[in-house]
Amino acid sequence: MEIPYTTDVRPDTGLTNPKLGIWLFLASEVMLFGSLFSSYALLRSGAPTWPVQHEILSVPLAALNTVVLIASSVTMVMAWASLAPHAAAVRAGNRDEEARSLKRYRLFMGLTLLGGAIFLVVKTIEYTDKFSHHLYPATNNFLGLYFTLTGLHAVHVIVGMIVNAYLWGPGARMWRNEPERFTNRIEVAGIYWHFVDVVWIFLFPVLYLL
Amino acid sequence: MLVFGALLVLTLATVGVSYLRLPETPAVVIGLGIALTKASLVAMYFMHLKGEKPMVYWPLGLTAFLFIGLLVSVLLAEGDHLFGTQFGDAFTKQ
Repeated sequence: MEIPYTTDVRPDTGLTNPKLGIWLFLASEVMLFGSLFSSYALLRSGAPTWPVQHEILSVPLAALNTVVLIASSVTMVMAWASLAPHAAAVRAGNRDEEARSLKRYRLFMGLTLLGGAIFLVVKTIEYTDKFSHHLYPATNNFLGLYFTLTGLHAVHVIVGMIVNAYLWGPGARMWRNEPERFTNRIEVAGIYWHFVDVVWIFLFPVLYLL
Repeated sequence: MLVFGALLVLTLATVGVSYLRLPETPAVVIGLGIALTKASLVAMYFMHLKGEKPMVYWPLGLTAFLFIGLLVSVLLAEGDHLFGTQFGDAFTKQ
Protein backbone atom coordinates (compact mmCIF):
# COMPACT_ATOMS: atom_id res chain seq x y z
CA MET A 1 0.00 0.00 0.00
CA GLU A 2 1.29 3.41 -0.86
CA ILE A 3 1.94 5.90 1.90
CA PRO A 4 -0.44 8.82 1.37
CA TYR A 5 0.61 12.48 1.15
CA THR A 6 4.36 11.94 0.75
CA THR A 7 4.62 14.88 -1.63
CA ASP A 8 1.11 16.35 -1.74
CA VAL A 9 0.07 18.57 1.12
CA ARG A 10 -2.66 17.03 3.23
CA PRO A 11 -5.52 19.56 3.28
CA ASP A 12 -6.41 19.29 6.98
CA THR A 13 -2.87 19.56 8.38
CA GLY A 14 -1.47 21.84 5.68
CA LEU A 15 1.65 19.61 5.63
CA THR A 16 3.01 16.52 3.96
CA ASN A 17 2.83 13.49 6.24
CA PRO A 18 6.63 13.07 6.57
CA LYS A 19 7.00 16.70 7.65
CA LEU A 20 4.36 16.38 10.38
CA GLY A 21 5.78 12.99 11.37
CA ILE A 22 9.36 14.18 11.83
CA TRP A 23 8.28 17.17 13.91
CA LEU A 24 6.11 15.02 16.20
CA PHE A 25 9.02 12.60 16.58
CA LEU A 26 11.40 15.47 17.39
CA ALA A 27 8.90 16.79 19.95
CA SER A 28 9.18 13.43 21.75
CA GLU A 29 12.97 13.67 21.43
CA VAL A 30 12.92 17.09 23.10
CA MET A 31 11.17 15.50 26.08
CA LEU A 32 13.66 12.60 26.16
CA PHE A 33 16.69 14.88 26.25
CA GLY A 34 14.73 17.37 28.38
CA SER A 35 14.28 14.80 31.13
CA LEU A 36 18.03 14.19 31.17
CA PHE A 37 18.84 17.91 31.16
CA SER A 38 16.46 18.45 34.09
CA SER A 39 18.07 15.48 35.92
CA TYR A 40 21.41 17.24 35.41
CA ALA A 41 20.00 20.51 36.80
CA LEU A 42 18.45 18.72 39.78
CA LEU A 43 21.54 16.70 40.70
CA ARG A 44 23.92 19.61 40.21
CA SER A 45 21.85 22.20 42.10
CA GLY A 46 21.31 19.74 44.95
CA ALA A 47 24.96 18.74 45.23
CA PRO A 48 27.08 20.22 48.03
CA THR A 49 30.14 20.18 45.74
CA TRP A 50 30.51 19.73 42.00
CA PRO A 51 33.64 18.90 39.98
CA VAL A 52 35.21 21.71 37.93
CA GLN A 53 33.96 20.41 34.58
CA HIS A 54 36.54 22.00 32.28
CA GLU A 55 39.35 20.46 34.31
CA ILE A 56 37.98 16.96 33.71
CA LEU A 57 36.84 17.35 30.11
CA SER A 58 38.66 18.75 27.07
CA VAL A 59 37.13 22.06 26.00
CA PRO A 60 39.27 22.32 22.78
CA LEU A 61 38.14 18.86 21.57
CA ALA A 62 34.49 19.65 22.31
CA ALA A 63 34.79 23.05 20.58
CA LEU A 64 36.28 21.27 17.55
CA ASN A 65 33.36 18.83 17.58
CA THR A 66 30.89 21.73 17.77
CA VAL A 67 32.40 23.25 14.63
CA VAL A 68 32.44 19.85 12.87
CA LEU A 69 28.77 19.20 13.63
CA ILE A 70 27.68 22.70 12.59
CA ALA A 71 29.66 22.32 9.34
CA SER A 72 27.96 18.97 8.69
CA SER A 73 24.59 20.68 9.15
CA VAL A 74 25.61 23.24 6.54
CA THR A 75 26.60 20.53 4.05
CA MET A 76 23.28 18.77 4.75
CA VAL A 77 21.43 21.95 3.77
CA MET A 78 23.55 22.12 0.63
CA ALA A 79 22.79 18.46 -0.19
CA TRP A 80 19.08 19.32 -0.11
CA ALA A 81 19.64 22.55 -2.05
CA SER A 82 21.49 20.55 -4.75
CA LEU A 83 18.29 18.64 -5.46
CA ALA A 84 15.26 20.78 -4.66
CA PRO A 85 15.44 23.28 -7.56
CA HIS A 86 15.98 20.47 -10.11
CA ALA A 87 13.13 18.12 -9.15
CA ALA A 88 10.74 19.46 -11.81
CA ALA A 89 13.33 19.12 -14.60
CA VAL A 90 14.14 15.54 -13.52
CA ARG A 91 10.45 14.67 -13.54
CA ALA A 92 10.25 16.10 -17.07
CA GLY A 93 12.98 13.65 -18.08
CA ASN A 94 16.07 15.86 -18.23
CA ARG A 95 18.73 13.13 -17.75
CA ASP A 96 21.64 15.54 -17.93
CA GLU A 97 20.33 17.72 -15.11
CA GLU A 98 19.43 14.59 -13.16
CA ALA A 99 23.00 13.28 -13.25
CA ARG A 100 24.60 16.65 -12.49
CA SER A 101 22.40 17.41 -9.49
CA LEU A 102 22.81 13.87 -8.13
CA LYS A 103 26.59 14.18 -8.33
CA ARG A 104 26.50 17.46 -6.44
CA TYR A 105 24.09 16.00 -3.88
CA ARG A 106 26.37 12.97 -3.33
CA LEU A 107 29.34 15.27 -2.72
CA PHE A 108 27.55 17.27 -0.01
CA MET A 109 25.85 14.23 1.56
CA GLY A 110 29.27 12.53 1.60
CA LEU A 111 30.74 15.54 3.42
CA THR A 112 27.86 15.37 5.93
CA LEU A 113 28.68 11.71 6.59
CA LEU A 114 32.36 12.61 6.94
CA GLY A 115 31.42 15.26 9.54
CA GLY A 116 29.45 12.69 11.55
CA ALA A 117 32.38 10.26 11.36
CA ILE A 118 34.91 12.88 12.52
CA PHE A 119 32.59 13.78 15.40
CA LEU A 120 32.44 10.14 16.53
CA VAL A 121 36.23 9.71 16.23
CA VAL A 122 36.82 12.76 18.44
CA LYS A 123 34.19 11.49 20.89
CA THR A 124 35.95 8.10 21.02
CA ILE A 125 39.27 9.84 21.76
CA GLU A 126 37.59 11.71 24.61
CA TYR A 127 35.97 8.58 26.07
CA THR A 128 39.23 6.61 25.82
CA ASP A 129 41.07 9.41 27.60
CA LYS A 130 38.52 9.39 30.45
CA PHE A 131 38.72 5.60 30.83
CA SER A 132 42.53 5.66 30.85
CA HIS A 133 42.32 8.08 33.81
CA HIS A 134 39.89 5.69 35.52
CA LEU A 135 36.98 8.07 35.06
CA TYR A 136 33.83 5.98 34.54
CA PRO A 137 30.09 6.66 34.61
CA ALA A 138 30.04 5.27 38.16
CA THR A 139 32.83 7.59 39.36
CA ASN A 140 30.52 10.46 40.31
CA ASN A 141 27.20 12.09 39.41
CA PHE A 142 28.80 14.48 36.93
CA LEU A 143 30.50 11.71 34.96
CA GLY A 144 27.34 9.60 35.12
CA LEU A 145 25.40 12.46 33.53
CA TYR A 146 28.22 13.21 31.07
CA PHE A 147 28.35 9.64 29.74
CA THR A 148 24.55 9.25 29.66
CA LEU A 149 23.93 12.52 27.82
CA THR A 150 26.84 12.31 25.36
CA GLY A 151 26.28 8.57 24.89
CA LEU A 152 22.62 9.04 23.99
CA HIS A 153 23.62 11.90 21.71
CA ALA A 154 26.28 9.72 20.02
CA VAL A 155 23.62 7.04 19.40
CA HIS A 156 21.58 9.73 17.64
CA VAL A 157 24.59 10.67 15.50
CA ILE A 158 25.05 7.00 14.53
CA VAL A 159 21.35 6.58 13.63
CA GLY A 160 21.46 9.78 11.55
CA MET A 161 24.55 8.50 9.73
CA ILE A 162 22.85 5.17 8.92
CA VAL A 163 19.88 7.01 7.41
CA ASN A 164 22.15 9.45 5.54
CA ALA A 165 24.34 6.61 4.25
CA TYR A 166 21.25 4.85 2.88
CA LEU A 167 20.11 8.07 1.19
CA TRP A 168 23.63 8.58 -0.23
CA GLY A 169 23.77 5.04 -1.65
CA PRO A 170 20.86 2.77 -2.58
CA GLY A 171 18.19 5.25 -1.47
CA ALA A 172 19.32 7.75 -4.13
CA ARG A 173 17.76 5.59 -6.88
CA MET A 174 14.49 7.34 -6.04
CA TRP A 175 15.83 10.59 -7.52
CA ARG A 176 15.19 9.39 -11.09
CA ASN A 177 11.55 8.28 -10.81
CA GLU A 178 10.21 10.19 -7.83
CA PRO A 179 12.39 13.30 -7.53
CA GLU A 180 9.96 15.29 -5.36
CA ARG A 181 9.57 12.42 -2.91
CA PHE A 182 13.35 11.95 -2.71
CA THR A 183 13.86 15.69 -2.09
CA ASN A 184 11.35 15.48 0.77
CA ARG A 185 13.25 12.55 2.26
CA ILE A 186 16.45 14.59 2.25
CA GLU A 187 14.66 17.52 3.88
CA VAL A 188 13.20 15.31 6.62
CA ALA A 189 16.51 13.50 7.22
CA GLY A 190 18.08 16.96 7.37
CA ILE A 191 15.62 18.22 9.98
CA TYR A 192 16.59 15.24 12.16
CA TRP A 193 20.31 15.83 11.56
CA HIS A 194 19.99 19.51 12.51
CA PHE A 195 18.16 18.48 15.68
CA VAL A 196 21.16 16.33 16.65
CA ASP A 197 23.26 19.46 16.07
CA VAL A 198 20.93 21.53 18.29
CA VAL A 199 21.22 19.01 21.14
CA TRP A 200 25.01 19.25 20.95
CA ILE A 201 24.81 23.06 20.93
CA PHE A 202 23.24 22.78 24.42
CA LEU A 203 25.39 19.88 25.66
CA PHE A 204 28.63 21.74 24.90
CA PRO A 205 28.16 24.70 27.30
CA VAL A 206 26.26 22.69 29.93
CA LEU A 207 28.79 19.84 30.25
CA TYR A 208 32.05 21.55 29.30
CA LEU A 209 31.91 25.29 29.89
CA LEU A 210 29.66 26.07 32.84
CA MET B 1 26.67 30.92 4.68
CA LEU B 2 25.82 33.95 6.79
CA VAL B 3 24.16 31.65 9.33
CA PHE B 4 27.23 29.37 9.27
CA GLY B 5 29.48 32.36 10.00
CA ALA B 6 27.23 33.53 12.83
CA LEU B 7 27.24 30.03 14.38
CA LEU B 8 31.05 29.87 14.25
CA VAL B 9 31.42 33.34 15.79
CA LEU B 10 28.97 32.43 18.59
CA THR B 11 30.87 29.18 19.28
CA LEU B 12 34.12 31.16 19.59
CA ALA B 13 32.33 33.69 21.82
CA THR B 14 30.95 31.09 24.22
CA VAL B 15 34.37 29.41 24.58
CA GLY B 16 36.02 32.81 25.01
CA VAL B 17 33.58 33.90 27.71
CA SER B 18 34.12 30.63 29.57
CA TYR B 19 37.85 31.44 29.89
CA LEU B 20 36.97 34.68 31.71
CA ARG B 21 35.82 32.52 34.65
CA LEU B 22 32.86 34.77 35.41
CA PRO B 23 30.80 34.20 38.57
CA GLU B 24 28.22 31.45 38.22
CA THR B 25 25.04 33.42 37.49
CA PRO B 26 26.34 35.62 34.62
CA ALA B 27 28.27 32.64 33.21
CA VAL B 28 25.11 30.50 33.07
CA VAL B 29 23.01 33.34 31.61
CA ILE B 30 25.57 34.13 28.88
CA GLY B 31 26.38 30.46 28.15
CA LEU B 32 22.77 29.37 27.79
CA GLY B 33 21.82 32.63 26.03
CA ILE B 34 24.41 32.00 23.31
CA ALA B 35 23.31 28.33 23.03
CA LEU B 36 19.68 29.41 22.68
CA THR B 37 20.62 31.91 19.96
CA LYS B 38 22.59 29.26 18.04
CA ALA B 39 19.79 26.71 18.37
CA SER B 40 17.25 29.27 17.10
CA LEU B 41 19.42 30.04 14.07
CA VAL B 42 19.67 26.32 13.23
CA ALA B 43 15.92 25.78 13.74
CA MET B 44 14.82 28.86 11.79
CA TYR B 45 17.11 28.53 8.77
CA PHE B 46 18.43 24.94 8.52
CA MET B 47 15.25 23.23 9.70
CA HIS B 48 13.05 25.64 7.71
CA LEU B 49 11.05 26.51 10.81
CA LYS B 50 10.80 30.13 9.66
CA GLY B 51 7.50 30.40 7.79
CA GLU B 52 6.43 26.84 8.67
CA LYS B 53 2.75 25.83 8.90
CA PRO B 54 0.69 26.19 12.11
CA MET B 55 0.45 22.39 12.44
CA VAL B 56 4.19 22.38 13.14
CA TYR B 57 4.09 25.29 15.59
CA TRP B 58 1.28 23.85 17.75
CA PRO B 59 2.95 20.59 18.82
CA LEU B 60 6.26 22.39 19.24
CA GLY B 61 4.64 25.07 21.40
CA LEU B 62 3.14 22.35 23.60
CA THR B 63 6.55 20.65 23.77
CA ALA B 64 8.25 23.89 24.78
CA PHE B 65 5.63 24.39 27.52
CA LEU B 66 6.15 20.87 28.90
CA PHE B 67 9.94 21.23 28.62
CA ILE B 68 9.84 24.41 30.68
CA GLY B 69 7.65 22.49 33.15
CA LEU B 70 10.42 19.91 33.52
CA LEU B 71 12.92 22.62 34.40
CA VAL B 72 10.52 24.46 36.71
CA SER B 73 10.04 21.22 38.68
CA VAL B 74 13.75 21.42 39.48
CA LEU B 75 13.31 24.98 40.75
CA LEU B 76 10.40 23.88 42.95
CA ALA B 77 12.59 21.22 44.52
CA GLU B 78 15.78 23.26 44.84
CA GLY B 79 14.65 26.91 44.82
CA ASP B 80 15.05 27.24 48.58
CA HIS B 81 18.79 27.03 48.75
CA LEU B 82 19.48 28.27 45.20
CA PHE B 83 17.93 31.67 45.83
CA GLY B 84 18.17 31.79 49.61
CA THR B 85 14.41 32.13 50.02
CA GLN B 86 13.18 31.99 53.58
CA PHE B 87 10.58 29.32 53.03
CA GLY B 88 12.48 26.44 54.58
CA ASP B 89 13.83 28.36 57.60
CA ALA B 90 11.12 27.14 59.96
CA PHE B 91 12.64 23.69 59.70
CA THR B 92 16.32 24.53 59.67
CA LYS B 93 16.51 27.19 62.41
CA GLN B 94 15.41 25.47 65.55
